[in-house]
Amino acid sequence: MSEGSFWARIRRTEGGSGLLLVAPPGLYAILLLAAPLGTILLYSFLTDGYLEIIRDFTLMNYSEAWTNELYRSVMVRSLAVSMAVTAITVLLAFPIAYFVSFHVEPSKKSLWLFLITIPFWTSYLIRVFLWKVILGYNGVVNSGLLGIGIIDEPLTFILYNVNSVVITLAHAYAPFAILPIFVALEKIDRSLLEAGQDLGESRFMTFLRVTLPLAMPGVVASILIVFIPTIGDYVTPQLVGGPEGRMIANLIQLQYLRLDNYPMGSAIAVSGMMLVVLTIFFGWAQARLFGAAFRWFNGTMPWVAAVAMAFLSIAANFGGVLLIASLLPGAVAGVLLILSWHIALLVMLKRGGGMA
Amino acid sequence: MTEKPTMIAFQDVHKYYGDYHALRGITATIRAGEFFSLLGPSGCGKTTLLRTIAGFEGIDRGVVMIDGKDMAGVPANKRPTNMVFQSYAIFPHMSVAENVGFGLRRAGLSKADLAARVGEALEMVGLKGYGARAAHALSGGQRQRVALARALILKPKVLLLDEPLSALDKKMREHMQVELIRLQRQVGITFILVTHDQEEALVMSDRIAVMFEGEIAQLADPETLYRRPNSRTVANFIGTMNFLPATVTSEMGGRIEIEAAGFGAMALEAAQAPGAVTGGEVSVGFRPETLTVLFDGQSAGDRESMATIEEVVYFGDMTYYDVRLDGTQSPVRISMRNVFGRPVLDIGTRTRVGWSPGAMVLFR
Repeated sequence: MSEGSFWARIRRTEGGSGLLLVAPPGLYAILLLAAPLGTILLYSFLTDGYLEIIRDFTLMNYSEAWTNELYRSVMVRSLAVSMAVTAITVLLAFPIAYFVSFHVEPSKKSLWLFLITIPFWTSYLIRVFLWKVILGYNGVVNSGLLGIGIIDEPLTFILYNVNSVVITLAHAYAPFAILPIFVALEKIDRSLLEAGQDLGESRFMTFLRVTLPLAMPGVVASILIVFIPTIGDYVTPQLVGGPEGRMIANLIQLQYLRLDNYPMGSAIAVSGMMLVVLTIFFGWAQARLFGAAFRWFNGTMPWVAAVAMAFLSIAANFGGVLLIASLLPGAVAGVLLILSWHIALLVMLKRGGGMA
Repeated sequence: MTEKPTMIAFQDVHKYYGDYHALRGITATIRAGEFFSLLGPSGCGKTTLLRTIAGFEGIDRGVVMIDGKDMAGVPANKRPTNMVFQSYAIFPHMSVAENVGFGLRRAGLSKADLAARVGEALEMVGLKGYGARAAHALSGGQRQRVALARALILKPKVLLLDEPLSALDKKMREHMQVELIRLQRQVGITFILVTHDQEEALVMSDRIAVMFEGEIAQLADPETLYRRPNSRTVANFIGTMNFLPATVTSEMGGRIEIEAAGFGAMALEAAQAPGAVTGGEVSVGFRPETLTVLFDGQSAGDRESMATIEEVVYFGDMTYYDVRLDGTQSPVRISMRNVFGRPVLDIGTRTRVGWSPGAMVLFR
């Protein structure tokens, strides 16, 4: 059987031609994504000998990363910063996306989207620098406030700390958060909102019972799109974070390039990824349970209680993950907090006979 | 039959979209317990009028009253109306039961009562046991039933239906027409249907308002609308109508005498000119089934004319003859029910045609 007939046979079958189609990007992904990830995973279990890597399997890097006060505090801070950035960005992005989708004339929507993406015309680095100019000791904010006499001396808590990192990242990721929410809102059939009001609900209740649940896929997408890259952001904390604003990426850079400790840097990188996976997993489990609880309550629960539950839920989970990241004895408390909240939700569902 | 009380009253209702005058002084009343239709071509303002009842459209002038109360400033969620949307507007993130029970949240029912009410409503529309289904897994007809149950469960005074059958196939549509009539009789509330399908309106309604360009052209029961349309536009929109030129020769004491091409002189009652025709050149209109092609020895109607058959369209149960009456320029259509043993005539046949002055309508 010749080579030609082999290819012809592959092309004829549906699965074969599909494989052929994904082969180039697949190869690309394996070479540039999976292979480096595998290498890092491998490094993280090896031993560091100064200027070289000794091929001895060890868990020392991880135990160091998870017990050393410095590493731990940086990881907790990274998590807290990216959670704060995610919360702020998504909360601010939602009203903007809502406005553009519901209150801007259809013919002007593309113009608005275009305006929203204008910050991308400037390099990320330059945008971060600009925030330095705005937030600095002699920066725009300080000289403005001094000029109108609100403050007597320049504010120092707005640059070279966690605050400035959060502000800068929230600005940088705003368009990423707006677009998915906008798309989700655009897909909502407007007659559904009329139906909500026709069935006796106010505009606000219709928003809570119809618009918000239908926009959730977009909200989830923007949470992921903001949360995952910010936790590993390097440039912003480096430039505006100062010593107290340092995050995981800066630590990894330090290990790799300054201390030449590849295994340690890899272990921190893998830990960071695990942190992301852990947070997302808990968030997902929570959303499932909370969604079920909310559906059950929909007919019988006052909305104030539902919103309170949502906040409690977010607090229990984010708080819990933060505690886990801060390790013993906090981890136990964190696990307990998350578990008890989930159990509470389950019990409520059980008692209500939960609508399937 | 006693006159039912008024449920909805429009008084000189105007609505503008920018420069476009969508509703041009609507004045009408809809009675309680009536199956009322708003019929007209697309863009005639029928949906806009329905939406002013629901509270989705404000009005620029005039008054909309529901059950004796002025609805000015009353938002949609405070009106005693519920709507079945053209797209059905089923909430895709909810089950059938959640959709149907949506409006009952504010009633503060216990879970058991809520489930019972939802069950009743589903049973009423023939969807018993469908409560747990996901809304997106339903067929078009089922979605419509869910929309109906969701609206009727709130026991509104008025149910608004915005072209509810237009998305269904012909069989399903005919089935749902009967179903809707049955439902309306069962719950006894006012139904207001918007449709562009004249047949649908005739089949379902107690009364019909025919709308053109933001105005009500005629408001009447189906039979009157069909037999005595008050303008050529209404006559053309509902069914088929033939027109022949005529001249009014005298007009006095509720009797109108005309001289019509092909028919000759005849006397009509004033009721046969609902458009209030006076003097001069007019048109006389008649439905295809009011003329009869006469076979040997047969007679039908009060009078007879001679005609030539110019076109024959055979439909199985019906035959349409386009005939030219002697002394006229253009052919008129006659529909004949086919009866066993009676031949279908050929093109070119000379035949007698029977007719009655009582079936004629005069138009300007």
